[in-house]
Amino acid sequence: MSETVLDVRNLEAGYEPGVPIVRGASIIVRKSEIVVVLGPNGAGKSSFIKAIAGLVPITGGTVFLDGKDITAAPAHTMVRLGLAFVPQTENIFPLMSVEDNLKVACGILERREIPARIEEMYAAFPDLVRQRSTAAGNLSGGQRQMLAVARALIVHPKVLVLDEPSAGLSPKFVSMVFEMLAGIRKSGVTILLVEQNAKAALAIGDRAYVLVEGKDRHEGIASELWNDPVVAELYLGQRPSHAGKGGAA
Amino acid sequence: MSLQFVVDGLLTGSMIGLGAIGVTLTYSILRFSNFAHGDFMAWGTYATLAVVSAIGATFGKVAPIAPLSFGWPLLVALVIGMAFTAILALLLDKVLFSRLRSQGQAIIVVMASFGASMALRSLLEFTFTSRPTYFSRAIQIAMPVGFGIRITPDQIALLLLTAVLVLGVHLLMTRTQTGRSMQALSQNAALARIVGIDVASVVRVTWVIGGALACVAGVMIGILVQIRPFMGFDMLLPMFAAAILGGIGSIPGAVLGGLIIGLAEAGAVQLIGAEWRAAVSFIILMAVLFVRPIGLFGVRER
Repeated sequence: MSETVLDVRNLEAGYEPGVPIVRGASIIVRKSEIVVVLGPNGAGKSSFIKAIAGLVPITGGTVFLDGKDITAAPAHTMVRLGLAFVPQTENIFPLMSVEDNLKVACGILERREIPARIEEMYAAFPDLVRQRSTAAGNLSGGQRQMLAVARALIVHPKVLVLDEPSAGLSPKFVSMVFEMLAGIRKSGVTILLVEQNAKAALAIGDRAYVLVEGKDRHEGIASELWNDPVVAELYLGQRPSHAGKGGAA
Repeated sequence: MSLQFVVDGLLTGSMIGLGAIGVTLTYSILRFSNFAHGDFMAWGTYATLAVVSAIGATFGKVAPIAPLSFGWPLLVALVIGMAFTAILALLLDKVLFSRLRSQGQAIIVVMASFGASMALRSLLEFTFTSRPTYFSRAIQIAMPVGFGIRITPDQIALLLLTAVLVLGVHLLMTRTQTGRSMQALSQNAALARIVGIDVASVVRVTWVIGGALACVAGVMIGILVQIRPFMGFDMLLPMFAAAILGGIGSIPGAVLGGLIIGLAEAGAVQLIGAEWRAAVSFIILMAVLFVRPIGLFGVRER
């Protein structure tokens, strides 16, 4: 079994004291894995992942990244610690050019390393090259998502954390984004994502957790989870339409 | 109509524009209207004056750099004054604005800046009295440059200084990591933190730039007009009008807005009389808010 990159134990978090949204959730992400966090609306998925990234106050539990306790680290130190976060919406700077969006994220890189690193990102996301001097606000939904991911990857993160990368995208772009994530994992990057679109996420994921009412209620191999009746009940409140064909895990 | 208003307007516009840079930066990055910005100007000017006097007392009378009305002591004093004003701005942020900002209500910070403005201004009156004073009482002969326009060497030097400073700030904002971080913070503060920008340090840079430029604008007024405790407060309306006309957050916009308002004021003096001068900023401000609230270089909020 490969080494653990992200180890979240009994995380409790919420915006207001005494009103926890995340109520003791634990997950583990191992090197070069794609781990998916699923859950019904209001399960606290988004708050859970934002708390890990330092954006929602943590009231209990611990977060370890590469064995280092990052529970109390402020959000702006996360990229330096090796965690790059891609928010669900407003994840680019709309008035800055595509290139400046990439450059502004390079604060922790060596100055002379930056131009080459930007070219590497253009090589990985060729759609962005032609738009390098376009204001990022003018990009299509899919291209914005690419830019947001490229911006996160540019700093060589130990783990890439994404909040619903398919949200608000048309079906064509949804499959494009998931193909992109699968490709990124192939290059050795560890990925943790929260997703509403369970089927597409499980198709590329290695393992998945189901979060219900702020707690991790179920864990399993991604490919098996889709047909798991427990998951169907927790997640959808009903059996998935094609359940029974694949059988329960 | 004499074309002299062009020179007058460009000079007033430069002062307004340099001040408006600070206003627009504070507004877009810290998200509040800093009514104490004018008083930074006045404090910077008095600090510069104090250093000039101190140099005079130490080194005796220093000959001005011909053909200008001032010598090296003023240049040295200006640099010290800029540093002083920057520190004043940082200090005020630390003891007042940053605490209120953390409560998340912009209007409280705006009101606090109003209070700070009055306190700063009164302190100046208390220390230096409200009587006007000057960097130099020497009278400069304005040189004719054609088209009925006359200009003094001081005025030429200050226009050049403005151009250099504006270009410098523009390059800083667009070509450096610090400038990109400032842009990022003004567009999306939460995302700025996510990409690793230390908000506190960007805020400090914002105050330093705004304070230092306010000092230069004040010293320009001191050289060309006079020094008095209300000098900055009286610039507040034209500065805000310039920042809004140019589009909040835009450095070139603030400067262009300043020049437009300066020219309009100077033109109005000739056309309809000096008593209407102050009304011009108001009219331009209202017209912009009616016609194009986002300003010349502004971009609609998403």
